[in-house]
Amino acid sequence: MIRLPICTLAALAIFSGNDLHAASMDAETLAVIRVQPLLKEKCLGCHGDDPDKIKSDYDMRTAEGIFKGGESEVAAVVAKQPDQSPLYLSVLRDHESWEAMPPKDSEALSAEQIAWIKEWIAGGAPWPDEARKAEIAKHADKWLNADGITVATSGALSDEWANRRYKPEDLWAYQPVQKPRIDSGENPVDALLSLHRPQGLDNAPAADARTFIRRATFDLTGLPPTPEEVSTFAAAFDRDADVAVRQLIDRLLDSPHYGERMARHWLDVVRYADSSGFANDYERGNTWRYRDYVIRAFNDDKPYDQFIREQIAGDEVAPDDPEMLVATGFLRMGPWELTGMEVAKVARQRFLDDVTNGVGETFLAHSLQCARCHDHKFDPVPTQDYYAMQAVFGTTQLAERQARFLKEENTAGFEEQAYLEKRRKAYQAELRRINAIQLDAAEAWLKENQIDSAPYQSALARVKTSDGDRPDFGKVRSILVKQGLPEDQIPPRKVGFTPEEYGRERVARKGLERLAWEMDRYQPVAFAVYDGKTPDIKSVYKPMRMPDKPMAKGELEQTAILAGGDPFAPIQEVKPSVLSAVEYFNPECTANIPDTPQGRRKALANWIAHASNPLTTRAITNRLWLWHFGQPIAGNPNNFGSTGKKPTHPELLDFLAAALVEKGWSIKQMHRLIMNSAAYRRSSAHPDPKTLAEKDPLHQSYAAFLPRRLTAEELRDTMLAATGELNPELGGIPVRPEMNLEAALQPRQVMGSFAPAWVPNPKPEQRNRRSIYVQKIRGLRDPFMEVFNEPAPDFSCEAREASTVTPQVFSLFNSQGSSNRSLALAHRVLTEDPDRSDRAVIDRLFQLAYGRDASGDEQQACVEHWKRMTKKQEGLTPHRIESPTEVVREAVEENTGEKFTFTETLFAYQDFVPDLQPADVDARTRALAEVCLVLLNSNEFAYIY
Amino acid sequence: MKTPFPCAGSRALHAPTRREFVYGMGASLGSVALSSLMAEQSAKAGPLTPKDGHVAPRAKRCIFLMMEGGPSHIDTFDPKPTLDRLHLKEFVREGQQKSAMESGKRYYVRSPFEFRQCGESGAWMSEPWQHLAEVADDLCFYRGCQVDSVNHPTAMYQMNCGNRFGGDPAIGSWVTYGLGSVNQDLPGFIVLPELSYPQGGSANWGNGYLPAYYQGTTLRPKGSPILDLQPPEGVTPDIQRANLDLLGQLNQSHYQEHRHHSELLARMESYELAFRMQMQVPEVMNLDNEPDSLKEAYGIGQDETDAFGRKCLLARKLVEQGVRFVQLYAGTWDSHDYIERAHGNLIHQVDQPIAALIKDLKQRGLLEDTLVVWCGEFGRTPDNGVRGGGTAYGRDHNPKAMTIWFAGGGVKAGHTIGLTDDTGMEAVECVHHVRDLHVTLLHLLGLDDNKLTFYHGGRFKQLSQFGGQVIQDLIA
Repeated sequence: MIRLPICTLAALAIFSGNDLHAASMDAETLAVIRVQPLLKEKCLGCHGDDPDKIKSDYDMRTAEGIFKGGESEVAAVVAKQPDQSPLYLSVLRDHESWEAMPPKDSEALSAEQIAWIKEWIAGGAPWPDEARKAEIAKHADKWLNADGITVATSGALSDEWANRRYKPEDLWAYQPVQKPRIDSGENPVDALLSLHRPQGLDNAPAADARTFIRRATFDLTGLPPTPEEVSTFAAAFDRDADVAVRQLIDRLLDSPHYGERMARHWLDVVRYADSSGFANDYERGNTWRYRDYVIRAFNDDKPYDQFIREQIAGDEVAPDDPEMLVATGFLRMGPWELTGMEVAKVARQRFLDDVTNGVGETFLAHSLQCARCHDHKFDPVPTQDYYAMQAVFGTTQLAERQARFLKEENTAGFEEQAYLEKRRKAYQAELRRINAIQLDAAEAWLKENQIDSAPYQSALARVKTSDGDRPDFGKVRSILVKQGLPEDQIPPRKVGFTPEEYGRERVARKGLERLAWEMDRYQPVAFAVYDGKTPDIKSVYKPMRMPDKPMAKGELEQTAILAGGDPFAPIQEVKPSVLSAVEYFNPECTANIPDTPQGRRKALANWIAHASNPLTTRAITNRLWLWHFGQPIAGNPNNFGSTGKKPTHPELLDFLAAALVEKGWSIKQMHRLIMNSAAYRRSSAHPDPKTLAEKDPLHQSYAAFLPRRLTAEELRDTMLAATGELNPELGGIPVRPEMNLEAALQPRQVMGSFAPAWVPNPKPEQRNRRSIYVQKIRGLRDPFMEVFNEPAPDFSCEAREASTVTPQVFSLFNSQGSSNRSLALAHRVLTEDPDRSDRAVIDRLFQLAYGRDASGDEQQACVEHWKRMTKKQEGLTPHRIESPTEVVREAVEENTGEKFTFTETLFAYQDFVPDLQPADVDARTRALAEVCLVLLNSNEFAYIY
Repeated sequence: MKTPFPCAGSRALHAPTRREFVYGMGASLGSVALSSLMAEQSAKAGPLTPKDGHVAPRAKRCIFLMMEGGPSHIDTFDPKPTLDRLHLKEFVREGQQKSAMESGKRYYVRSPFEFRQCGESGAWMSEPWQHLAEVADDLCFYRGCQVDSVNHPTAMYQMNCGNRFGGDPAIGSWVTYGLGSVNQDLPGFIVLPELSYPQGGSANWGNGYLPAYYQGTTLRPKGSPILDLQPPEGVTPDIQRANLDLLGQLNQSHYQEHRHHSELLARMESYELAFRMQMQVPEVMNLDNEPDSLKEAYGIGQDETDAFGRKCLLARKLVEQGVRFVQLYAGTWDSHDYIERAHGNLIHQVDQPIAALIKDLKQRGLLEDTLVVWCGEFGRTPDNGVRGGGTAYGRDHNPKAMTIWFAGGGVKAGHTIGLTDDTGMEAVECVHHVRDLHVTLLHLLGLDDNKLTFYHGGRFKQLSQFGGQVIQDLIA
């Protein structure tokens, strides 16, 4: 028995039906109450708001204009004759001579709205004067209350918007969370799901032990169960399935890999990457510490409200705790840079817009950017609220702050910086070489142009050098310039340059600049923020450190509403605040955000993490549901607004939201609640697929579990787990496995230069870490990951996709990587027990790949294939695969427009220990690798049921 | 065989029909059996099945010549004699919107190139354009477009995807989403990049939030045209075929236990399609069988023009075979210094290939329904910091003025539309934001930007972001 709160969303919805039909309103009332606001909302944007840009000359600001029509010179409204009135004909959208209006299909008038216009014209198209309008408006409420409710917000740009009516069901997310009471002993998840189960549709039975452990293990760790775990669980499941499931879930929640799996979900939402994106795409040396913070937070079951506070305001909560500084990396996860090409204020505004929207999407399931230029078109978010939220970040500044390493952090492997040092030396040597060319060329130039070389020689002598270096030509030249020598007496800046030198000089100079960012990886520094004035900087070409006195220099920003989002067009100052609609519906959820430079974010975080903030608790529990069932309860986890999909099971969502707070914001308790439900344990095979397809075409009943394909990261990690190569170490600096060699060495333009190649870690155990630790460069995606739907870190990813496209086959079936994994798997199975029979070998392969034994048919087919392939392999002599130690790159130089080449030494490759190669093993192993390749490509490997 | 590339199906496509029945026969899934199965699929609609647009199309396909880096309108197609007079006079930039790039003393810089009028239409071209002059009357020049960003990657994203921030679908993705593609064995949207990818990388041709079928597929100029198109050394076709047969067999018995799960079939098909593509792509890319005279016309075999000539000829082959949208990259045109040399060389590299492409399309009767677009991500400034000494003039980025030209289906050939001010600093006539350009390109291809929407993240999204208007002046 379920008791739903009286004021549930369902109950509210009853009032939203339109009881009062348009026909019951006289035409005059209709004009005032319906038609005028409708035309204003739907038409004036193009036909009057900007008098200088009126589309098709149809000016709808006045009655006269509305009736007269536009450039067609046909009257737009013919009283009493809707069928002769272009205004009416165009909103029908299918008339042959009148273009559909409004132009966007998504903004088409509803049938009811069209009927208003028709009735109004049929009724003579009256247009009451102001006095009459005021008289009618007095009684408007009796009509308008049926339309929906108003929401008092902080302020709107127009009265129309302020008085706008909302359908209550569109405001579902703002309503206080109402926890249904479950009196039966049933799992509440199952009880609440059954409220919406179509009549006549039965649930599928529970999944078998092997299917379930595979599902649960992947869901909580992103890894497959070992064959031993499968058999142990199957035995326990036979004894008592409920107990076995409960114990399994507890065990998995205790696994350190649980945090990695949850962090992967979280990092999708917050757009984690190890580089800044855009023109420079500089490395963000320290973001790995934020990644590890997230993993630890989940592993420690950090209460979610605390998790929120730390990421938004860790530095304000506990400024001396390095962990808290690291947590604020969240605020900077979006792509950002400031180059000299850009206006600093515009770049600053990009950060402010990014962080405002990012906080909205991540924690509140609100895409706030829609209110950047105008009051939100559909939701009760005035642009005032947008800038009030933004004002919270008006004193938030970006810096890589000192933060000592914690004992929990993995600081192993820092010795790899020796390779970066080698690169630094190579760049310096290249610059010295070019300098020498320039010095020689300068002398030749002086001679050739018969210019007195005395000033040059004396300048040369004045430039200090170290250890036998020749003087720097640039310095020599600037001495001459400072002396006021005429330009035609000074050797040109680029004297002696061929196209090669132009290109190589840039590569070396910019390469040194980029190295500073990479070297930051090993520093006790946090990718973080601080409170203070906005510093006056024009460009950022090296990591930013925090100033000693954050309030000493720069501008104390005064946030204002910006016309069209333009930072040079402030309209009206705003104070820091929060979404006023939430406060309107939840009076106890208020925020008092100080106007002082410090403490704004802490106050915002407390408001977001307030137990009665309905957006916050619904947003995270909706995500948790998605992470288990492959689809969310409310269809757009980043957007609970009225255009987002409504919850399919609102009572369940509310139950989960309330339960989260009751359980002390424990995420692990939520997993227990969800995963012990019958719905989660259900088989994906429904006994009556026909009825299922008929009654539940959109897969919303949860009558059968939805299968899913492994994500890109799971595919790679699972292959490594099967081969036994996976290094399960936690945390630490980013790792670089091999990627497709052509992509790795692909020249890639960054501002003024080319980014260095992707060079893998030398040792297999460094490369074979879990995918979450792989360095993520925005401008250089691993093609394997990309093709298997790893989201780009530019936008927040609310849910992964899993499309089936042909390039996936090339990546998984043809790549060197798959080939290496297959060989490693074959080698493992043949060497771990050399006495295995052929059939036992195949069984073991199936266990490692699928968690089960092979059937008789499968054994036979695989053994036959193996034998056939052995014969083929016996006739082949595989070559040893050589790793490159340098790469010659070809590109077009921007000063000359000509091609140039440069050689990049790949230092880490000099110590490279390759994976097992075909040349290392016999024909039988190579042949078995073909069987392995097939298994790793099979559907059973790629899907979870 | 009509299974669409690069997809092999999707959830929506699979009704358990005859195909399932044939799978159910327990037949070995050898190549013969499967291709006959797939042949039966031919009648079914896939994501790339050709579709009608929303309005009458003026062009059926598009070749988009992307001059990455920002070519200077002032030194290509928009002569500014005023700059001869102002040459090396100080230029004062006003306003608060000044970046570091624009700081320091700046001077007007005249174009190092002579200009002359070409063709009967009298289109202006700078002197390095030798071959393009021959097709001047086929081109429609537009001088009114403006963009929002002065930075390469953000401007590239905006020109390609409508949004300054990366991650939205590229125009080629939108077009194939709206129209499908005629050839189901090739991708509908193909990109021919430079050896070095542009700033912003592959997001410039990404499918964004559109389904992955609409992603731009790059055919790389060197190495494997598609990554991992061929298996590693030692995996012969017969080994691969045998592997595929075993895979089919395992997948088949797995499917018997999971018949509720239609994606399994799609994935099985994708392996067979991939196997065939391994043979087909190299064939498509092979230019050996083209007549020598044609290759010569494209500049293939000459050092400077070979690379872009190959791309242009390949683009013609691809559209001829039914590929909907081909984008070619040439760059980088980012000539902050030494513009005479840098732009001179770049123009030389693309001039003959582009002219040959226009002629070739015309000669084959393809030009009338092919839309050809030439543009960069922004134009350049009339002034420069003259950083490198007196002979090193270049120009900086300019989002307020640029030249774009079009040829082919539906555009006003032989006209120059729009105007920039006396120095080329800003467009002043027929001025349109780039979103209107996108709306116009879609319109020419038969698509209505307001109807070409995709529901994502809780709202309907479109290429122009929030709507725009067709630039009627460009349309014949």
